[in-house]
Amino acid sequence: MSESLLEITDLGISFSHPRPAVRSVSVTVEEGEVVALVGESGSGKSMTARAVIGLLPDGAIATGSVRLRGREVLGLPEAELNQVRGRQVAMVFQEPQTALNPVRTVGWQIGEALRAHGGVRGKAAKDRAVELLREVEIPDPEERLGFYPHQLSGGQKQRVVLALALANEPELLLADEPTTALDVTVQAEILALLRRIRDRTGTSILIITHNMGVVAHLADRVVVLRQGEVVEEAGTRELFAAPRHSYTRQLLDAVPRLPTPEERVHAVTVDDAPAVATDAVAALEYDDVRVHYGSRMRGRVLPAVDGVTLRLERGQVLGLVGESGSGKTTLGRLAAGLVPLAGGTVRVGGEDLVRARGRRRADLRRGLAFVHQDPEASLDPRFSIAEAIREPLDVHGIGSRKGREARVTELLDAVRLPQSFLQRRPRELSGGQRQRVALARALTLDPRLLIADEPTSALDVSVQAEVLELFADLQQRLGFACVFISHDLAVVNKVADHVAVLRSGKVVELGPAARVFGAPSHDYTRQLLAAVPVPDPTVPNLVTSATGPALREQHIAS
Amino acid sequence: MSESLIDIAAPEATSPDDQFDQRRRPGIWTALRRGKGLAGLVLIGVVVALGLLAPVLAPHSATEQIPGANLVGPSGAHWFGTDEVNRDIFSRTLYGIRTDLIVVFLAVPIGAAIGIFVGLISSWWTFTDVVAQRVFDLVLAFPTLILAIALTAFVGPGLRTVFFVIVAVELPVFGRLTRTSVRSVREMPYVEAAHVVGAGSLWQLRRHVLPNSMEPLLVQLAVSMSVAVFIEGAMSFLGLGVRPPQPSLGSLIRDGVRNLYDAPFFAVGPLVIVVALVLSLLLVSQALAEARRA
Repeated sequence: MSESLLEITDLGISFSHPRPAVRSVSVTVEEGEVVALVGESGSGKSMTARAVIGLLPDGAIATGSVRLRGREVLGLPEAELNQVRGRQVAMVFQEPQTALNPVRTVGWQIGEALRAHGGVRGKAAKDRAVELLREVEIPDPEERLGFYPHQLSGGQKQRVVLALALANEPELLLADEPTTALDVTVQAEILALLRRIRDRTGTSILIITHNMGVVAHLADRVVVLRQGEVVEEAGTRELFAAPRHSYTRQLLDAVPRLPTPEERVHAVTVDDAPAVATDAVAALEYDDVRVHYGSRMRGRVLPAVDGVTLRLERGQVLGLVGESGSGKTTLGRLAAGLVPLAGGTVRVGGEDLVRARGRRRADLRRGLAFVHQDPEASLDPRFSIAEAIREPLDVHGIGSRKGREARVTELLDAVRLPQSFLQRRPRELSGGQRQRVALARALTLDPRLLIADEPTSALDVSVQAEVLELFADLQQRLGFACVFISHDLAVVNKVADHVAVLRSGKVVELGPAARVFGAPSHDYTRQLLAAVPVPDPTVPNLVTSATGPALREQHIAS
Repeated sequence: MSESLIDIAAPEATSPDDQFDQRRRPGIWTALRRGKGLAGLVLIGVVVALGLLAPVLAPHSATEQIPGANLVGPSGAHWFGTDEVNRDIFSRTLYGIRTDLIVVFLAVPIGAAIGIFVGLISSWWTFTDVVAQRVFDLVLAFPTLILAIALTAFVGPGLRTVFFVIVAVELPVFGRLTRTSVRSVREMPYVEAAHVVGAGSLWQLRRHVLPNSMEPLLVQLAVSMSVAVFIEGAMSFLGLGVRPPQPSLGSLIRDGVRNLYDAPFFAVGPLVIVVALVLSLLLVSQALAEARRA
């Protein structure tokens, strides 16, 4: 009689809060299967996974049953749980940065995982560690054993975390958003690795993710969660081809997509019309701009932006894309005057931002607005929504009290929030709503230039779609120029007129969005595009099918 | 990992428009309405009332000498007994509370206010920060009593000296704490958002940084107040504090110790009041600190 490896039936998890975190979730994972738990924040996907390995937070009350090979795990005493952890089920965490102990070497940490189950010691342990690192395709495993986490790149750290999870040959790997913290190209490699590990060792994987692209490329079966309940369960291909539940459809539609290869051909033929050459003053100009981090006195100067020249016309949207460390955020902050300039000039509306003083500077400032990435922290928790939106008017003493209030009402309408929100505090709003408020605040002074630094990265896909649509609409209506920074190529594709692809502080490709994404001329752009997991299981992904150790990472780490 | 926190903090509501956590975060003030906080407040209230109502409650004045009552034990006429110069200890204790109230509710807040102001202003710019921090180092390097003795050498003993010492001791404590708080709050994107909009340093400090740095400072305020009771006690005990015949809790305890063999009951009353005052302040500070962590 074949028993399922993992069988979760009618799991419910609640806290003191009246709404349970998980209402009723049933999932089974068969031997060697990759199952994806998909859902937006608050759907209870992480809690479900934590219940399997007995890592629920204090005060959580779990009901239902979680069976591992027929053995009930829920409510098992800690000592017995420790036998299950690592041996039968292992967990890969989201953030490799914090999952590794910074003061211990990689070898020591793997050794610890082996010792935890009374396994091998000494020479044998070392051999096993090397073997594990080879398993997760880290180049030069013998040498890497003596490395500390900070000496490894993000992708390599996640590989080490994976090696730790695999140390005691678990039957089931729980991966909680294992690639969310990583750049796209690294993400693609880790996903490919997970697949190969499954193929080689037959380990089952339960992957938790919000990224439909990841699901399409890794999972055999998908379970869609919403508000602590399973809304749909299907094989990956069927789910993407014919989603039955309306929520699944909504989720799939909300995912921003890049043009498919066929569309790309089309785009190229339409697009190569020369950009309208204007003599008018540009909204923003970067002229051979340089920014350094570190100090010359300490002898370590790292260029964050290295000779960038860009021009943004009035009323247009310039997308800045690149991986972490590419300098895209620095460029954005530069335009807002938040970063000291090391060389070159930044002109906003034709005026030098750095050299402007006094009134001119204040006027320039008033024409600028900035939207932060994290809606959680970008609103003062003590301010009501009305106060937050009104603040720019208060700062500059514009208008009468009545006039300011009228403006706030108008702005709240513009970002499509009900008037009843005026007296609420940020804490009483969801992430998407908060980001709308942040957008309203940015628009209070009718800026000529808006700088948006990853404005939708912290949001769920469906919310992201709404906010992007709102943003595009407002941009059209109000006609402000915008620098839109994002690591997500599909998002940029949706809103930007022109795109600059950045790498190591340099612009590698610049052009109209349709051309850059449709017919990239630079290798790096092509590589980035290929690495994006397409939310369609029928499209083979270039990088996913690649094999062999990641040489690119070796290059970064050295 | 962050995912799980969101799961706990704000599970989705049924309608997407209602997707926020309806529960307002209880402010740290609510901690004072129950449990430890309430107990502390009530106790403080009682001690304060005793002090404020001293002229009404006290059967005698603080300095009145009662003929024929030399070091008599507690009785219906003299609840805490009388001292070696025939004064009613109960009355003296009530008036002594007033001295301590001045120290606790005036000296500490003044020291705190100056400290917060200096900490706030200095930490905003690098140069002033370095200067202020080194000055704080200097003051903190002295043990409190050494500082007290040194100051007494200049201005002589008295309530004024106690006042100065407490201000001098608390100022750097609050300056330091403000600096730490400010340093973390000023990095928050909402402060940067105000900066980008064109708000000046003072605006940012007043509207965003200070209000959001207040909580740890409030906890420290309650702790410092209890410490102030000790400092007054210690200084008066050593004869550096209030000058006789003015009573204070510290000086009463000193007199009590001096007469320990003849009148063991002497210091009990003042000691109970000191314990009550310190305990209640610590209860309040603890309740506030716990509410902050929650």
